[in-house]
Amino acid sequence: MNQNTDLLTLRSVSKSYGTVPVLHDIDLSIRDGEFLTVLGPSGSGKTTVLRLIGGLEPLTSGEIRLDGQDISRMPINRRPFNTVFQDYALFPHLTVSGNVGYGLSVRHIQRKEIARRVAEALDLVQLGRFADRFPAQLSGGQRQRVALARALICQPRLILLDEPLAALDLELRRQMQVFLKSIQREIKTTFLFVTHDQEEAIGMADRICVMEAGHIRQLGTPHDLYYRPNCEFAARFFGENNLVAGKLGPVQGELRSIETTLGRLVCSISDQPHLKAATDGASAYAAFRPEALHLADAKDTDNHFSGTISDMAFAGSSTVATIMAGADNAAQRLRLRVPSRVDGSALKSGETVSLSFAPHEGHLVLA
Amino acid sequence: MSKADSTLPAERRLSLLVTVLAFALPVVFVLVPLAIFLGYSFFSVDQGTIVYSLSLGNYVRFFTDPVFLPVFWNTIVLCVSVAIICILLAYPAAYFLTTLKGRWRYALLMLLLVPLLMSYVIKIYAIRSILGLNGFLNKALVTLGILQEPSTLFVFNMNAILLTLTLLLIPFAILPIFLSLERIPQVLLRASDDLGASGLQTFLRITLPLSLPGVASAASFVFVLAIGDFLTPQMVGGISGFTFGRILYSQFGTAYNWPFGAALSVALAVVVIAAILIGERFGRNRGISV
Repeated sequence: MNQNTDLLTLRSVSKSYGTVPVLHDIDLSIRDGEFLTVLGPSGSGKTTVLRLIGGLEPLTSGEIRLDGQDISRMPINRRPFNTVFQDYALFPHLTVSGNVGYGLSVRHIQRKEIARRVAEALDLVQLGRFADRFPAQLSGGQRQRVALARALICQPRLILLDEPLAALDLELRRQMQVFLKSIQREIKTTFLFVTHDQEEAIGMADRICVMEAGHIRQLGTPHDLYYRPNCEFAARFFGENNLVAGKLGPVQGELRSIETTLGRLVCSISDQPHLKAATDGASAYAAFRPEALHLADAKDTDNHFSGTISDMAFAGSSTVATIMAGADNAAQRLRLRVPSRVDGSALKSGETVSLSFAPHEGHLVLA
Repeated sequence: MSKADSTLPAERRLSLLVTVLAFALPVVFVLVPLAIFLGYSFFSVDQGTIVYSLSLGNYVRFFTDPVFLPVFWNTIVLCVSVAIICILLAYPAAYFLTTLKGRWRYALLMLLLVPLLMSYVIKIYAIRSILGLNGFLNKALVTLGILQEPSTLFVFNMNAILLTLTLLLIPFAILPIFLSLERIPQVLLRASDDLGASGLQTFLRITLPLSLPGVASAASFVFVLAIGDFLTPQMVGGISGFTFGRILYSQFGTAYNWPFGAALSVALAVVVIAAILIGERFGRNRGISV
């Protein structure tokens, strides 16, 4: 397994249902052995991508290549991929081991061999004791693991997971995230994981593909997406963010300024050549995270502005202040996140504060 | 139904009435008649009048007389055959229906069920004219050169009963099978494909087992309706097509021996109840929550 070789490539793939287009010219490469998460709100086409790859639906145009070979027309039962369905789709009339062994028994593999591999797979998902139960006798998390074992026992090149954790409660979902990730590391199989939950995506993925309205908006590591979103959608969708609209100013090495209602802000553009190349005066946003914003002190030379705290919200380990910054007629709502303290925050609602963020913690997004 | 001067609020009164009716109707119209029948089966007849003293004579006669048990057994075999043929014909039809999309599916289903709205007797007459020695079927076979002369194979005998019952009862088999097939979540079939199964494997390993509850209830429906039918054998069975239903009918009619007829009915009821229980048990067993 080499994470640098492409396992699967989608080339200008489009899909329409009747006259309604749901995917527009998607290009996507999935690397061998990676955990790729497709993230998007509902209706973004993320599940359609998975269904096209799995062979559950035909493409409208474009092609899907596996190891360089076009598999767009390959029937579903011949594709070396297996799917973990959203509601598990376990066979209710088969036991856990019947379900898990299904993919092997339809390939006419010997009973002994099936029994051995079923036991192995059930051990992997820690369900050895439940082999003779029926799906109806299992909890949600256990069914989830049966579905996973059923998919991975076929030793597929790619496991497709369609929002598999959506039906679980929060605590179980967290456990399953860790569990899925550890299994993926152990068996070193490529996972394509579809979700609408960005926290889930950040926690599990090697790379995240952000989709919106049938387009891929950005593809990158969770770190990239969090700190260098390349479009407004990704910047807003991914975690909390402060976006301030303005016009691009001149480039200064790895930094570039932007004229906004909060004055001139300076942000990092390192490793983002398209921002360096953008013309002066182009519309853009300065983006900085609530935790990057802080009360200004003497060390801060750039990115000064003042604002009035309109609300304080305690959120456990941190406290979020909502701040109205800039001139009254064009006030900009910003969020400031500070660590919570047992004796209460030094900040008070209604207070006017001077704020700043370090240039390397701000970035630019073209509008 | 008391209208005024009740202290209960109208709604409570209504729900009480509904509850009483819900229990009273089956008791009055099902359980009481069955109990009366059971009672009658222990009486006897002397010179055309019923003797109201208890005895097991009717049952002894049923089990020892060389006429009744063979007919009873043959009738069960006949009705099991009808059920099997109905299932074999109805399953592909129901399966085909579930492959249709939207409007067509239900339009065709309605068409298949339309015969249920027609008079039973008229349907038997129609089939009788098709099956007769000079009927449509014989004429067609002769015209096509398949037969030299009209065949008596299906004219006024057991075969005629078998064919007629099958034709009449097939809608009762299609409906439950269709419903059970339709209830199978499509995602299970996709999951089977996804795991590498061929179309045939998916059918044999997923669709078929999951539709067995429907098959079981279809079979018990058809069997029960067939075994209780005396009109069809009477009209298309001729002399050789003698079924248990006809014997029963003659006990109540020509022979005017109600107690013995009641005893025979009890024997039939036992078989019917067994068939329903088997169908029910089988249906539940396989239906482990989809």
